[in-house]
Amino acid sequence: MKTLPKLIRRFVCMMLISCILLILLNLILFAACMSSQIPNRSPWQTAEEVASSLQQEDNGYVLPEAVEKELQRDDAWAIFIDDTSRQVVWQTENLPDTVPMTYSISDISRLTRGYIDGYPTFTGEAENGLAVLGYPKDRFWKDMWPSWDYHLIANLPKTILLALAVNAALVCAIYLIANAKLLKSINPIVNGIQALPQNKECHLKEKGLLSELAASINKTSEILQSQSRQLRKKETARANWIAGVSHDIRTPLSMIMGYAAQIKSEWNLPEDTRKKAAVIVTQSGRMRNLINDLNLASKLEYNMQPINRKEENLVALVRQVVVDFINMEIDDQHPIEWKTDEALSTCFVTADKDLISRAIGNLIQNSINHNEQGCHIFVQIMAENDHATISVADDGIGATDEEIKRLNHAPHYMVCDENTSEQRHGLGLLLVKQIAAAHEGEVTIGHSPSGRFEVKISLPSKASKRI
Amino acid sequence: MKMDFDYLKQKRILLVDDEQALLELVVSILKEGGFQKIRTAKTVKEALEISASYRPELAILDVMLPDGDGFVLMEQLKRTSDYPVLFLTARGEDADKFRGFGLGADDYMVKPFLPQELLLRVNAILRRCYKGQNPLIRLSGSEIDLDRAEVIKNGERISLTAKEHHILTALFRNAGKIVTIDALCEAAWGDNPFGYENSLMAHIRRIREKIEKNPGKPVSLITVKGLGYKLVVEEQ
Repeated sequence: MKTLPKLIRRFVCMMLISCILLILLNLILFAACMSSQIPNRSPWQTAEEVASSLQQEDNGYVLPEAVEKELQRDDAWAIFIDDTSRQVVWQTENLPDTVPMTYSISDISRLTRGYIDGYPTFTGEAENGLAVLGYPKDRFWKDMWPSWDYHLIANLPKTILLALAVNAALVCAIYLIANAKLLKSINPIVNGIQALPQNKECHLKEKGLLSELAASINKTSEILQSQSRQLRKKETARANWIAGVSHDIRTPLSMIMGYAAQIKSEWNLPEDTRKKAAVIVTQSGRMRNLINDLNLASKLEYNMQPINRKEENLVALVRQVVVDFINMEIDDQHPIEWKTDEALSTCFVTADKDLISRAIGNLIQNSINHNEQGCHIFVQIMAENDHATISVADDGIGATDEEIKRLNHAPHYMVCDENTSEQRHGLGLLLVKQIAAAHEGEVTIGHSPSGRFEVKISLPSKASKRI
Repeated sequence: MKMDFDYLKQKRILLVDDEQALLELVVSILKEGGFQKIRTAKTVKEALEISASYRPELAILDVMLPDGDGFVLMEQLKRTSDYPVLFLTARGEDADKFRGFGLGADDYMVKPFLPQELLLRVNAILRRCYKGQNPLIRLSGSEIDLDRAEVIKNGERISLTAKEHHILTALFRNAGKIVTIDALCEAAWGDNPFGYENSLMAHIRRIREKIEKNPGKPVSLITVKGLGYKLVVEEQ
């Protein structure tokens, strides 16, 4: 269940990014607004300009026409207070009557910070006096006590960051709380969807925000389950059918095999008759192998064969199969040679002993079946780091490259869904491939070092020991 | 190599199968193999009656019988007298085999079978189950008395150690056949006998010194390179 935390992480990230973007956007908008609100020039600058451009002439002070026009445009008035007399020594024509003509020091201080009779005032310093500009009452608002604690200003960056962090946390908390319910209803749905491909049965409660979705998932699960039940039923029926047929054939075949074997060893019968009986024995033996293989192959194909894997010493296991073959004394034409390095005493694999024995037995039997004129059979186990390879090779008639290619790649008719009679290589090899696959192993069919036929089964192994 | 033990051929055998033709076949195989005392039954009921009166020493049973199954029959047979049982059946499933062995069957054969295979298995079971009557094993240069754990060579009795006895018993049970190194180690050292190969070789060397005329050139206890050993027994 990794999806949900990922989902939450992504949402929270998006949330934070949107917050930061919003704050930036707001700041930019605010700045833009402010700049458009502020007149072309600051009133303080205009006051400074008035102070500096006011010229003392013989008949009093004169303001250049350009500056005066500017004042008129803003509907502002101006006075000039003399330093020594603290009297208004110059004024614009539009000065309101209520503006006093004499100022004390405290008046000066007040008008600098604030207003004269409700008119916002701005001062400009001149050589021998102070120029004061007054704007209409509804033109400016003045902050009369513009002072802050020094530490507040010094810590401003930190404070802003902290405020942002608190805001972000708050946003996340709000998001999580608001979404907790949604997440709670999403969680079982996510679990349900994840269970679907694993073919697990799932039944979700059909209520809450996403009840329709839950209902669809339940329906899908039901359909999948019923399909897999149907398939399983068919497969079981097929495997049972094969098991039934092979069971029913066994008793009649016993009779054929038994009596033929007796006829074969009846010395007072003509040679020709005994030879014919021998053929019946051999062929019924092949039929027996076929029945056994068919049954096991169908069970492995439909996953009906219980696989009891245990830690086994592969060397001992294969050695026993080889010895069993030699002890059967089938004939002298197919001597089996044990080619495993004698120093290799143990090689551990986790395997079903019976199945692996069966696979090796099949390979040896294959070599015998395909080389009626006789051949040497070589069995070898090679242990490498993490896998063990069993090789069964023979120096018999061999196979062409094309045949080997077909054996490696063409599917057997039992596992082929195409209507063709091409895929008719031995059932024995199919079984070997199935057994290897059940052990996470691989089968390679190819040429032995001497250029003849060789089959290799490679299995994952744990450890091997040499003496 | 032929292992004929006359006393084993005298054992009474009960054969149960519902197919008349198969009964006849098995009887003819057993008779050819030298067995004389054979009784047949087609049903569980019949088998129980014969078992009570005939006191067989080996039973060969089919699993599917018209009035019951062979596994239950075996339990009933073994309740009165504990003799070996060999299943001879068309049911080749592993589960059936395990059930048979789990209930105490001595062997389990799946049809179809070769006559020789049946005889070998019957002989092996009888030898194993009536081993109290182990004969002297005659080898080319000596004789082995497994019951007394002794080798008689040149009129002299040489005793066998416990391990040597285990190894020789395993070899004798499969006389004439190859017994793998691993099976011999298991016989001598029990389950999971890993890493005993060198010890086994030492024991084999000592056994050869006791049983072979010329231990340097063994003729009775033969090495099959890489695979195991074989005990060659002289014909009785």
